[in-house]
Amino acid sequence: MEKAEKKLKLSTNSNSTLLPISSLYTFILHTICGLGLALAYWVAHNVYSVSLVNDPTQTLRLIWVIEAPIVILLFSGFRQHPNQCSYIKAVGRGLLGLPAGAIVNALGAIALGAPVGIQHFSKTANWSILMSVFTIVPTASVFGSSWIEWRRIFAHAKPNGPIDLLICLPAHGAVIGAWFGAWPMPLDWERPWQEWPICVSFGAMAGYMVGIVASFSISLFQKHLKKE
Amino acid sequence: MSTLTCTKLTLLTLAAVVIQIIGLSLFVLGFFPVKPALSGVSGPESFTSPVCPSAEDHNFTIQSPDELKSLYLELSNISPSYDRLILMVVDGLPAEFVLGRDDRPAPEIFRKSMPYTQSLLDRGVATGYHAKAAPPTVTMPRLKAMVSGSVGGFLDVALNFNTQELLDDNLIGQFFKIGWKMVMLGDETWLKLFPRSFTRHDGVHSFFVKDTVQVDHNVSRHLDAELLMIDWKLLILHYLGLDHVGHTGGRNSVLMGPKLEEMDEVIKKIHRSMVQNKHGRTLLMLVSDHGMTENGNHGGASYEEADALMLLIGLRDYDRRPSTHKTVNQVDITPTLALLFGVPIPINSAGILIADTLKSLEAAQQLRALELNTWQLFRLLQAQLPDLSCSSSCGVDKDGPGNDIGECDGNTEEIFCCLYIKAADLHKAWKSCQVLGSNKVEDYRSTVLAYNDFLRTASEWLSRRATNKPVGLLAFGLTGMILSSLILLSLLYQLEQDVCMIKEDRTSHFSSRMHKWHMDEIFVMAIVCFLVLSMGSSSLIEEEQYIWHFMTSTLYFLLLRKAVQSISSVNTQDQGNFMERQIKRRFIQMSSIIFVLISGRILRGWHQGGVNWTNFPDISKWLESEGTAYIKPVQLVSLLLLTTSGFYALSFLRPSKRFVIVVGLSFLFPAILVLQYIINYQSSGVPASSNNATLLVQIIYATLGTTTFGIVVAVPWFMPVRNPKGCSSHHYNVLHVGIADSLYLIGLVYIICWGLLQLLLQQPINSAPILLLLVQILASMCSSSNSDPEPKQWVEVAVVYYLGMAGHFALGNTNTIATIDVAGAYMGVSSHSTVLSGILMFMITYAAPMLALLSMLINLSRRSKISLVNAQDVDLHFLLKTTLAYPCLVPLGLNSIFLVAYTTILLLMRNHLFVWSVFSPKYMYVCATTACIYIGVLIVASTVFYTYSTLGLRKMWIR
Repeated sequence: MEKAEKKLKLSTNSNSTLLPISSLYTFILHTICGLGLALAYWVAHNVYSVSLVNDPTQTLRLIWVIEAPIVILLFSGFRQHPNQCSYIKAVGRGLLGLPAGAIVNALGAIALGAPVGIQHFSKTANWSILMSVFTIVPTASVFGSSWIEWRRIFAHAKPNGPIDLLICLPAHGAVIGAWFGAWPMPLDWERPWQEWPICVSFGAMAGYMVGIVASFSISLFQKHLKKE
Repeated sequence: MSTLTCTKLTLLTLAAVVIQIIGLSLFVLGFFPVKPALSGVSGPESFTSPVCPSAEDHNFTIQSPDELKSLYLELSNISPSYDRLILMVVDGLPAEFVLGRDDRPAPEIFRKSMPYTQSLLDRGVATGYHAKAAPPTVTMPRLKAMVSGSVGGFLDVALNFNTQELLDDNLIGQFFKIGWKMVMLGDETWLKLFPRSFTRHDGVHSFFVKDTVQVDHNVSRHLDAELLMIDWKLLILHYLGLDHVGHTGGRNSVLMGPKLEEMDEVIKKIHRSMVQNKHGRTLLMLVSDHGMTENGNHGGASYEEADALMLLIGLRDYDRRPSTHKTVNQVDITPTLALLFGVPIPINSAGILIADTLKSLEAAQQLRALELNTWQLFRLLQAQLPDLSCSSSCGVDKDGPGNDIGECDGNTEEIFCCLYIKAADLHKAWKSCQVLGSNKVEDYRSTVLAYNDFLRTASEWLSRRATNKPVGLLAFGLTGMILSSLILLSLLYQLEQDVCMIKEDRTSHFSSRMHKWHMDEIFVMAIVCFLVLSMGSSSLIEEEQYIWHFMTSTLYFLLLRKAVQSISSVNTQDQGNFMERQIKRRFIQMSSIIFVLISGRILRGWHQGGVNWTNFPDISKWLESEGTAYIKPVQLVSLLLLTTSGFYALSFLRPSKRFVIVVGLSFLFPAILVLQYIINYQSSGVPASSNNATLLVQIIYATLGTTTFGIVVAVPWFMPVRNPKGCSSHHYNVLHVGIADSLYLIGLVYIICWGLLQLLLQQPINSAPILLLLVQILASMCSSSNSDPEPKQWVEVAVVYYLGMAGHFALGNTNTIATIDVAGAYMGVSSHSTVLSGILMFMITYAAPMLALLSMLINLSRRSKISLVNAQDVDLHFLLKTTLAYPCLVPLGLNSIFLVAYTTILLLMRNHLFVWSVFSPKYMYVCATTACIYIGVLIVASTVFYTYSTLGLRKMWIR
């Protein structure tokens, strides 16, 4: 699977600008992002037989370990100005973005009320790395340190083109999903999944998936409009 | 297009507030009826007729228990049938399990689980009743109903929030008075209700619902020993296990059978020891406090939940007709036990005697018992119907029974009177026949019937009155609140339209009238929706602090995002100096937002709060465990920083330096006094109550009060009216700058004095949160004053309001009455005064929302500056409308939404399990918040009016 991805990427590397991509191609891109997450969850569940509820730390780590390379390798292929920036450099930017984004996400979660303490550290760390994979890493790989593009994607949420959509919508979806996922936490149902960060992770992953579906449908729709 | 004039706006707002107050008070009166009950306890006078004062004037002096006991015996003429009582309470046992429902017998599985009890029932040794429980079907109110016979309301729970002790007249108290020794084993609710009554007790927690075994073992372990003891007269056994089984597994839980077997074993053991009988005649009464639904829950009014059990085992004269199980009310237990054991019926009991239990007595004694019950109920009726006297019947000797027997009708008083006279006459006639020795069974029967008629009517009327909610009153109150909410919201809408229009006129925007909504504006509204939705869930009410913090932080993240957005607009305008200033403004804006976020998180972590996770670690627990050595420095640093930040904020008022210094120094003095108090008296962690401390606190109150009042009165008169560059001759503008400066100064004085007062009143641990809150509000103001484009004023006001509400919970408040700081309420109060303590308690509890409301003045001052810059010719009316309207209307409007929503939810949840423990206390808080907002808005509005009119006067003089 990884090889196939690389081939896909190599084929796009030769293009110098962000170009119109075919519907099939958009579909494959979106599917890889979505399937990556599904695969990670499946591996955690069936190969290592851990689940988010039993062992959130381990599961989150497994998920991001599988999902991060997929995302970094995939999005590095769509880096901006491919002529001035090598594929390796884009991968490096993505790798740098991973811990940086994790710190941003962790700080955000703590400001919103995530528990602080040594016993929560590993859970928070793994969760925020996963969130970083969803939100910061793709942008870092594609746009590097271009302040204007970052602001366009995150502050203004104005994506143009399928790649922008694929960066922007799932990232926002993950954040909004995580936000809603926090709602059951204060309820007194005494269910194990109400613990930090289990339901928040569920929310984030669900939001990410919704974002991918939305991004795919919007990019199809836009293409349809353009044709007309 | 019609625009709002200033007068119209004011009048409409006032009208809305008045309507809201009326609606709220009607609703509260309707929902929490204050039942007129008799105070005191029943004594020997309850053995005399309430209608005709008896000729002989009993003058009862205080007597020893034994004397009292024999006096009761003599007065009542009823020989007690039993010496000892074992009250066995099986929590949550539905009567259906033992007696079956309607005519069907109990389910086979349950019958098999309780073989001994069923055999007792079959032999007629035991008599079973369905004892209907009134909602709320929760343990504590049910126990109260069983021992006091009264149908309780909420307010008597809420109003004595420090003690759960049952202060009403009740059986346990009556038994205690005649010198009974009592033993209680089981649910510690009994110990909360009667903390000093029991000779021996072993209370168990009902906290761990999952524990179904140990709770009951802890009761039974003493049973053998207690059954051998001879000293007690009343033994209470309260088994919780069955209720726990229900909660975990429902009615059909696999644990239900074994649990019933266990209960059956206990009954067997007790009954065996009763039969062997060495210590006098014993009565075993097996009752349950409430039933349970299929899922094992309870609290509501459904048949399954209300179907409680009452089983009398060991009645002396039982008839051998098994299996016709009558339905009685739970409150009937009270008069029955009182009459069986020879004590006066508790004064507020609405129950009626269960006649079967007295079968063993002579006819005369049975009638006497009915008579005593009638007298007691008649007295209770008199408390509710003051016109009920029936004194016309006294003295007139009727010829005999039956001369005026007919249907009783007329108004309520007449009906009761008629029924009473009928029964009394029949009884009198029967007695006179007895003297003659010509008793007829028919006469006896008709007397009993007449008494029962009266008792049943009276009891039904009383309990209907206590539980019935006057629908009309509730609907009227709710409508009033909805109406006022609609008025306030439409005023806000109209105002927003006006302001938009003015802005467009002025800046001549050619963009469309359609205003583009920003994320933060949408989210401010969304917060209202989220909060309203969350109010429907009892656990989200218990843990409301999470929601406020979550919402406020998210809102600030959105504001941060907006700040990042506005940087881009700076970049496009490349103009060196201007751009530099812009970047500086952005930097200040973003850093103050980040500061608000960080301090908000610290505040969240300060008190864990809530109900379910209070034992989790938090900063305040950590500090307290470290001792005063840590708390005191925190307190001192808070005081220092609070004063410093006050001075710093004052220093922004540049042009009138000397004036500012005078103001600053004047509240340095109270600050030093507070410092002295903290150093000298708060060392032990609890406020000292010595005379010196009280005096010092009183001095601080006086100084703070006079300083604030003096400054507020003086500032508009003496505020130097500075000349802004460019328009020196323009009187309007000059004065308006004066207005803005005065308001800023007054606002600052308000919040600093409030902060100082809170440092004094709050618990030492809360000093840092007070400081953080104050600085947080200042930072929030700072961020909005540095943002471009200018945020809408209603957003600014709403944000500060939300900060205040989040701060309310950050100070350790919850939606339970238990967290009200009672200790601080007696600070500086030399003699006990409910009013003063109440005011102090209110000030402590609503420190944060009040701080937020008072800080609105600073926002107002900035706004009036802005409208000055924009306006060419402004008059005072216009200025008032554009600046003052939002800080008043937004808090009122937001609160009115919460009030209406929560009132509706309370109505919907009136039968919910937690209506008394969660929803009603929360409603008290909602009402108090409403009051807090009225007061805050009133202070803000009157200050602004005063400042404007004073400066208006000065303007006239300058001319």
